[in-house]
Parts: sequence; C-alpha cells; structure tokens
Amino acid sequence: MKRTHIFILTLLFIALMVIAGFLQSDYDSRRNYFAEQGTFVTLPNGKTLKVLSFGFQNLTADMLFIWSIQFYSSYHLNNRYLFLEHIFDTITDLNPTFKEPYMVGSWIMALEKGDVPMAIRLLEKGSRNMPDEWIFEHECGFYAYKELKDAALAEKYFERAAAKPGAPSHIARKRAHMIYMQDNLEYSYQLWLDILKTAGDDRFARSAARNHLHQIKFEMDKQNLEKLIREFKAKRGRFPFILEELVETHMIKQIPKDFGGDDYVYNAQSGTVTAHKVLKWKKSY
Amino acid sequence: MNALEIKNLHKSFKSSFLIKQYHILKGIELSVQEGEIYGFLGPNGAGKTTTMKCILNIIYPDQGDILLFGKSSRQASSRSRVGFLPEHPYFYDYLTPEELLSFTAGLFSMSSAEIRKQSAELLELVGLTAKKDIKLKKFSKGMVQRVGLAQALIHNTDFVILDEPFSGLDPIGRKELRDIIISLRESGKTVFFSSHILQDMEMMVDRVGIILDGKIRKEGKLTELVSQGVKYYEIVFSGLDAQLAGAAEWTSQDGHYIIRHTDSNATNHSIRLISEHKGVIHSVTPIRRTLEEVFLEELNHA
Amino acid sequence: MLRTIAYNTFKEAVRNKVFYLLVALGVVAALSSIIVSMLTIGDKVKVLKDVGLASIDFFCVLIAIFTGINLVYKEIDKKTIYNILSKPISRSIFILGKFLGLALTLLIALASMSVIYYLFLWLAAGTVDIKIVVYFFLLYLQLLIITSISLMFSSFSTPILSSIYTISLYLIANVTWTFNTFKDQLKGTLETVVSYFFYYILPNFEKFNIKNQIVLKMDLDAAWIINAVLYAVCYTGALLLLSILIFNKKEFK
Repeated sequence: MKRTHIFILTLLFIALMVIAGFLQSDYDSRRNYFAEQGTFVTLPNGKTLKVLSFGFQNLTADMLFIWSIQFYSSYHLNNRYLFLEHIFDTITDLNPTFKEPYMVGSWIMALEKGDVPMAIRLLEKGSRNMPDEWIFEHECGFYAYKELKDAALAEKYFERAAAKPGAPSHIARKRAHMIYMQDNLEYSYQLWLDILKTAGDDRFARSAARNHLHQIKFEMDKQNLEKLIREFKAKRGRFPFILEELVETHMIKQIPKDFGGDDYVYNAQSGTVTAHKVLKWKKSY
Repeated sequence: MNALEIKNLHKSFKSSFLIKQYHILKGIELSVQEGEIYGFLGPNGAGKTTTMKCILNIIYPDQGDILLFGKSSRQASSRSRVGFLPEHPYFYDYLTPEELLSFTAGLFSMSSAEIRKQSAELLELVGLTAKKDIKLKKFSKGMVQRVGLAQALIHNTDFVILDEPFSGLDPIGRKELRDIIISLRESGKTVFFSSHILQDMEMMVDRVGIILDGKIRKEGKLTELVSQGVKYYEIVFSGLDAQLAGAAEWTSQDGHYIIRHTDSNATNHSIRLISEHKGVIHSVTPIRRTLEEVFLEELNHA
Repeated sequence: MLRTIAYNTFKEAVRNKVFYLLVALGVVAALSSIIVSMLTIGDKVKVLKDVGLASIDFFCVLIAIFTGINLVYKEIDKKTIYNILSKPISRSIFILGKFLGLALTLLIALASMSVIYYLFLWLAAGTVDIKIVVYFFLLYLQLLIITSISLMFSSFSTPILSSIYTISLYLIANVTWTFNTFKDQLKGTLETVVSYFFYYILPNFEKFNIKNQIVLKMDLDAAWIINAVLYAVCYTGALLLLSILIFNKKEFK
C-alpha cells in the first residue's frame, strides 16, 4: 500500500477515534449516572452477586469496594448515601473477611453521613465474621462513647475488644475509663491499679494510669471527705477549720493524701475539697 | 510486451527470534514472453514459491521491480489477467465447484451469464462437470487440484502461474495436465509454472529458467539449452562383425551392436562402412544433453 | 467485488454448525423466560422481558465474538487467503467484505431471534413494547462494534488470544462508565491524562444498554439515539481502518 494511503488512513483513524471521544463526552454531560436510582435498584444483593461472580467473589468485592471509594469521594453528588448500607453489605457478603470495607464503610456511615447505628451494625457484622479481630469492637466502643455518649455501651464493646487475641493495651485503659465515666469509682480504681502493675516499660501506660488513679482517688476522697464535712457541720453547726479536725473528732483515722502523696486543698468557707491537679474528664469537674 | 518481467528482485525473511536474516532472493532477473510456456526450475528451497508470491504481491519484495503486462505488481489491477494455482491448494470446503467458480468470478465482476458460460466450459476442461454440485469437503486431492486449475482460468485469464502443479499426480493426471497446459498455449495464453520434475518440463516448455540459491543461473530457450552440444551419436546395428564398423569400442545387447561417435563425420563414416558390409542399421540417434544434465551442471557450479 | 466477499462470508457463517447452535440456544434461553417468570412473585412480565432480552443479548454477543475471531485467521491458517490475494482485489476491500458479511449474518440472527421473542411476548403477555425495538437496534450497533473488534484481532492473532482480548474488551466496555467520575478526581497531571486517554479510547457500551430504561420506563430522546448511532459508526469505522492498516502490512509466507 502506498505511503500516502497509509498516512491518510492513519489520520482518518485518529480522527474517528477523536470524534467518538467527543460523542462520548457529549453523552456523559447529559447523563447523571448516579442520580438515577434505577442504577442501584438493580444492584443485586451479596448472595446473588456471589453466584453471579462465578467464583470471583473476592475480585468482585475488590472492584465494588474500589468503586465505592471513588463514589463516596464525589462530594458533589447528592443522594449518594441512599444505598450506602446496601453497598457495603454487598461487599462484605461477597468477601466477609475483607477488613477494609468494614472500616471505611463505618467511617463513611458514622463520620460523613452521621448515622452511627448503621456504622455499628456494619462493625458488628465484621466482628461476627471475624471473631478474632479486636478492631471492630474497638471502633464500636469509640463511636458509642464519642457519638452516642453512652459510656456503658462503650464499656461493653471495649471489654469484648480487650479480650480478643492481640488486643493492644490501650483498650483495657479505655474500658477502665468508661467504668470511671459511669461513676463506678472503686472498680475503675482497681482496674487502673492493675494496669499500672502490668504496665512494665510502657511509660505512656504508666503515666496514663497515674493520671487516672490520681483523678479517681481524688474523686473518691473528695466524696468521702465532703460527706464527713457535711456530717461535721450537721453536728457542730460549722465546717471544720482544717481537715485534721475530722481526725481529732474520730470521724476518720487519717486524712488521705492524693495519689502523688500531696495534700488536698481544703476550703473552709465552702466546705469543699480540691486537689492541686484536677483532670476535667467529667463536666462536673 | 512481456507477460512478466522481473528485475533485481531481492527478498529476505527474518526469523522470529533471531536478528539473523535469511536472504532468499538475491537479485532474480527473468522474463516471460506472451504466449509461451515458461518452466521455472530449481531445487527445493531455491526460492521458486517465494518468487511467485512476490509476483502476486502476497509478500512484499525488499528491492526490485516486477511488471505484469507492463503494470507494477504492487497494484491490485496488475493481477486482473493473472490466475494462480498454489502448491497445496485449499478452497472453501463448504462450497461446490460451481459455487467456487461463481465466487472467484465475482471477484472479477463478471456478468452472471458470462460466469455460467465460463464455469461450464472450465469444469468440462478439467473434467469435473459430473461433480459440480458436490461440496469440496468431499473431494480428493487430485480433484481439488483440478478445481484449482479451473478457478485459475476463470475470467479469461491470460497469464497462468502454477506452483508445482505436477507434484502428487499419477502418470495419467500428469498427462492430462500437460495436455491442458499445451492447449492453453494454443489458445494464446501464457503459462509460468515451477517444478522439479524435469521430464515434464522437457516435454512442453518453450523457455526455462533455472533458479539456484536465490538467483537465476541460466535462462533461455529449451532447444538452445539442450542442444548446446549433442553428446554423441549412437548407432545400433547387426549383421556384421562389430570391429568392421569403424569404431574403437562397441557394446552388444540382444544380438545388436551399439557404437558411439562424438562427431557427425565419424558417424557418417561408420554408416557407410556398415552399409558396405551389408549390415543392417537399426537406428542412428543423436544423444543430446537432457535438461537434467544441464541442471546438474549448474548445481555443480554453484 | 465487495458484495462477493460479503456474501461468501455470510454463506460461510450460516453453514457453520456452531452458528445454528448459538441461535438455537438463544431462542431456547429466551423462551425459557416463561418458566423463570412462573417462579416470580409479582411482575411476571418484567421478568419475562428481562430474561428474554438478556438471553438474546448474550448469545448474539457470542456469535459476534466467535465468528469474528475466525474471519481472517481461518483464511490465513487454511491458506485460502492465497486465492483471494492473487486476484485483483485490494486487501482493504477484503477486510470490509468480511465485516459486511458478518454484519449481515448478525442482522439475520438478531432479527429472527427478536421476531420469535416478540411473538412469544405477545402470546404470553399480550403486550408489544415499542421500546424493545429500539433496544434491539442499539444492541445491533453494539454488536457491530464487537464485530469490528474481533475482526481486528483476527487479522493478526490466533483465535484463542483474539477471543480473550475481545471478551476482555467487551467486559471492560460494560464498566467503563463507572470511571466517569473517577477520572475527574485524580490529582496528578500524568494520572489524569492517562485515565482520560483510556476512558475515551476504550469502548463504552453503557449507552447501548437501555434495559434499565425499558424496565423503569424512563424516556429516551432522539439525541440519545443519534449519539449512539454516530458513536457506533465512528468507533466501528476507526477499528475497520485499523484492521485494514494491520492487514496491509502482513506478508504470507
């Protein structure tokens, strides 16, 4: 074939492909793929897709997951959360032991859509399918505390998470803190003592334990002391001038010191006890 | 005008993994005149089929010019008067001979009346009229070859190229093919065929081209090539004492004597001697060089 | 000349047992939709339509692919190509003729399957949906693109590889649309250029698949159809040109 013919045909080929590209682009501009709900009405559920993927469940799960990341990064799309749970349910049905979708899905659900119960459902599914993983209950505990403000629920989750193999030590600390937040001071004090004992070389754990123990002891001591101070007032009609008066009147054997060994600070006017260092984890403190 | 002219044809092939090139055609020069039968002779691997494929633009020459009736082989229209029969012909086996001819003719844009007429004639020529409606799937090799010849001739082809047409044919088949080729020449067509069976060639070609190792070693009229020397004259006689015939040596066979002379004078002398002695001369034969000997000579030179 | 090759290709395809098998299977699968619809609660007609359309789609694509990959390869392999090339016919006409032959074959196959389907739908459900004709038309355009792809591979590759490449491109073409938003979100210039390039180079069959539109009764406008036709023409044309260029380079030892 002559050189000129080859050249012309090649140009024509490029021209046709370019036109096809423009046609595609024109078509795309008129289509709003994701606004049409129909697209996802026809996305079958995980069990059906499992069959349809002809043994390539893991690959299908991967593809669907990658696609969903792009999709949920498209912040300009409205209504994109419409089938959020369905999509991540499908992905996790296809590959129940694929960790990332549970994590990413729950983040999108809780933090972007703001639907914490949905996120927790997904995470609980993860822990059902992967009972040895600590992370799912840990995340649930996090959401329960931060978003739902439910310390009791969070404590349950942290307890479960801490019991899983390979669970990092901070989970037990979080649990202890949840118990404290539920005002179970004695039990949390006990737990923190255990934590301090088993902290070993972990300086962070030790310093955290000490802080918590300080605060908890302070609260316990404060409650105790202020109760005694009120009793004193009821008996004598006035607040004690100094805390030692309680010892002199045999109401208490000894004035406790704070966890660091320092004295508490007593305000004789108001009859309140406070410490040199107060950690304001609770609103009331 | 020559039906075919090839000038300085070069073709190399690259083997797929090696960078090495196989230089198959090293400057072929030949020409075929209109209305003649040209024999393309050479051993296997010399480049006969490669040359034919270059002529038909099935493969592209590296260098050189090929002209068919004056038109460059690179143009598709150069093949409008050319018919080709490959060495191992294979056609669409889901067609019948009639359908195949109809298809082939369709590529030349002939009218359907013309197609019908020519198909009938050609099928008659190759002796397949009785089998024209049987699918080619069921044909034997010889029959396929005949169909191939028919499709090479449709549309009043003026120049027929045949690649090893005689290979695999029995003696009857060979004779039939020879007759067909000769009749083609008689109707004014040009035939260019390759073979390594020399006897077939000798019986019908006008000109011969000997190709060896990618080059034409010898080209020319058959009569010239082989008559470049009568080797000797052979006289068969009986009825007298051999030594009286004027030859230094003789052999005998079935009661006859055979003597040989290299020149005509000595031959004539012996003939006179035998007649004088009342001997009976059975035959006087000039033994020429056969094509085979010409060919083997070239082979030895290379 | 073009007609001769096209008609001959058609004859070859139609005399091939595999072709009849695929058409028959397509019809059987489409008709089996009746049984499947009996298993459904609710909209039986919808299931009937869905399964029937899907079967015809599937089998016609198979025909396009598996006949297409042999179009040129078989001629080269069996050496019948010498008979063609030794004639005064240009290689381009040969390629175009092959394409037209298969296009004709697919037209006949699709038409016969769709007529049976329509008849059946009418008998079973009493409805005749005009949109389905549009669907078949768009399916045909899609088949033409698939044919041109398999023809292109056939001109230089063996059937096994050609079928793998063609099937892969077909699958890709069905999901290309999902990267529409993706390509706009990439940060680097190189990544963006590359993804834009591939997004537009690769075939995109989403526009031909109006099953959703039919099922959910959404509207199709003329612009959609015109776009689809032009796209198919351009893309098929481009691939045919590519096949011609490739085939012209080939030598046949």
